[in-house]
Amino acid sequence: MRTHGVYMRPHQSYDAGMSDPATVWVRRPTAAPGGDESAPAFRLDRAVSGLTIGVREDRAWRSWQLIGDIWSEYLRRDGAETITVETGAQVGQPGSDDRKQIDELAAVVDAAVVGLGTCGSCTTFTIKDAVALEEQERPVVAVVCEEFLVHGQNVATHLGHRDLKILVLPYPLEARPDDELRAIADEYYPRMLELLGVAS
Amino acid sequence: MTLTSDRVEVAADPRQQYEQAMAERWSDGVPLLPATDDAVEAILAASPYPADHALCVLPPRNGVATVELIAINAAMAGVEPAAFGVVLAALEAMSEPEWNAFGLTTTTSSVFPMLVVNGACRDELGIDYRASCMGGAAGRGSMTIGRAVALCLRNIGGQRAGETTKSVFGQPARFGFCFGEWEERSPWPALSVRRGFRADQNVVTVHGGKGTFPLADIHNDDPRDLLYLIAKSLAFPLANPYLGNPENGEVIVAFNPMWAERFGRAFPDVEDLQRYLRAHACQPIDLWPAANAAMLADRGRVDPEGRVHLFERPDQFVPMVCGGLGSLHAIALPSFGESQMQSKAILSKS
Repeated sequence: MRTHGVYMRPHQSYDAGMSDPATVWVRRPTAAPGGDESAPAFRLDRAVSGLTIGVREDRAWRSWQLIGDIWSEYLRRDGAETITVETGAQVGQPGSDDRKQIDELAAVVDAAVVGLGTCGSCTTFTIKDAVALEEQERPVVAVVCEEFLVHGQNVATHLGHRDLKILVLPYPLEARPDDELRAIADEYYPRMLELLGVAS
Repeated sequence: MTLTSDRVEVAADPRQQYEQAMAERWSDGVPLLPATDDAVEAILAASPYPADHALCVLPPRNGVATVELIAINAAMAGVEPAAFGVVLAALEAMSEPEWNAFGLTTTTSSVFPMLVVNGACRDELGIDYRASCMGGAAGRGSMTIGRAVALCLRNIGGQRAGETTKSVFGQPARFGFCFGEWEERSPWPALSVRRGFRADQNVVTVHGGKGTFPLADIHNDDPRDLLYLIAKSLAFPLANPYLGNPENGEVIVAFNPMWAERFGRAFPDVEDLQRYLRAHACQPIDLWPAANAAMLADRGRVDPEGRVHLFERPDQFVPMVCGGLGSLHAIALPSFGESQMQSKAILSKS
């Protein structure tokens, strides 16, 4: 229990007549986390027909490539154009090329779906890329598997985008047969549209 | 000197302090020294920066690392004031974007900052570079500097196992990992010199290492044969660079001084040795089962001779010299891949 910055030992109590045990004062070693304020999130508030929707895939995750491709197909069926980009690097020239790709995507799409968060650093970069799109005022959904949801929310919060829309898929996706992945793609497609703010 | 961080009253009894530090989640599980004003001020007196200087922002929670907060964590780890500059330089190196601190502090991988120190400060600060330098030698500098950096990630960056960091296994280095190069026994320029610093500078190099990967041989005295086997061992089929981009990351290969002498005679120019390692750190594509082989082929990783190289360039192999004189061991610090090694000069108060 902490009162006005003073640590009160939680497991001890002292009679009024007892003298206080010897104490020392130390400095707290922790920092407040970043992300006090949240940038706005955006919604489409219209049908996807006639719009251009970006899909960011990750070459590390075959399961997400399949789901992303299925969603692209459904978006085109619903009248949208789609642009798929594939990322897979975090640093060096490949990383710079990937981030440039995301910036270019943000310039030409009306909204985007960004995945996949299904490991620690890939969740971090899924959220970072989604934030890059949201900073260009694009409606965006970050796609994260259940095991990495809290981590994804933490990253979004600490990047100042607490309200970023995150779609949660089951975990793990890897090692599932294609028919199961297709079923997951079908089941979660409406929720993805809902998070983008698609109006029928 | 006016400290601005929160003051906290704790029991003077060290066992109660230990319990309180655990309850507050300040500790890595091992007892800490109390960060009293005297202890923190003594460290800050040796700092090249003022206490309120924001040195960097540490992920995963993006806490602002002021020099005062870093000094508090250093005091808890037992860093002596003269060694504080190493902690600061290491954190500065880690905050370079290409080191990818956000990725490394959140990954499922075991990777953690591994600090390599060059310069006269190794002896002055008790940074181990001879026998058992990667654990067990118990030099105050090695143990406290590495731990201070780890505590900063925990307390300022908010790194918490299973919460903000998703590392599946972690690794012993997550308690702190700092050692030196035995540059006097190296047949090549010191690592820091090869990375652009003067030989008389104190320098820390931070590597995102996945762990310590031991290598040994007693059957072959030929340096080229031995290096060939080392190269093949580095190119183990589940190494991270086979998952991702061969352009990114480095592997440190630490040679014992006896082997280094042998390799130095065969390769007086370290770049020739690096080229040799790069040429042989590969495996035939047939080694991998069909699914992996298809992925490697799809990514253009298979060369015309049907080999898959671990890395794209010779400079991604980073030889260095340290350790005891047992002439049968080397140790590799494998790469996470998506991280580029960074070096910084260690500053002291002018």
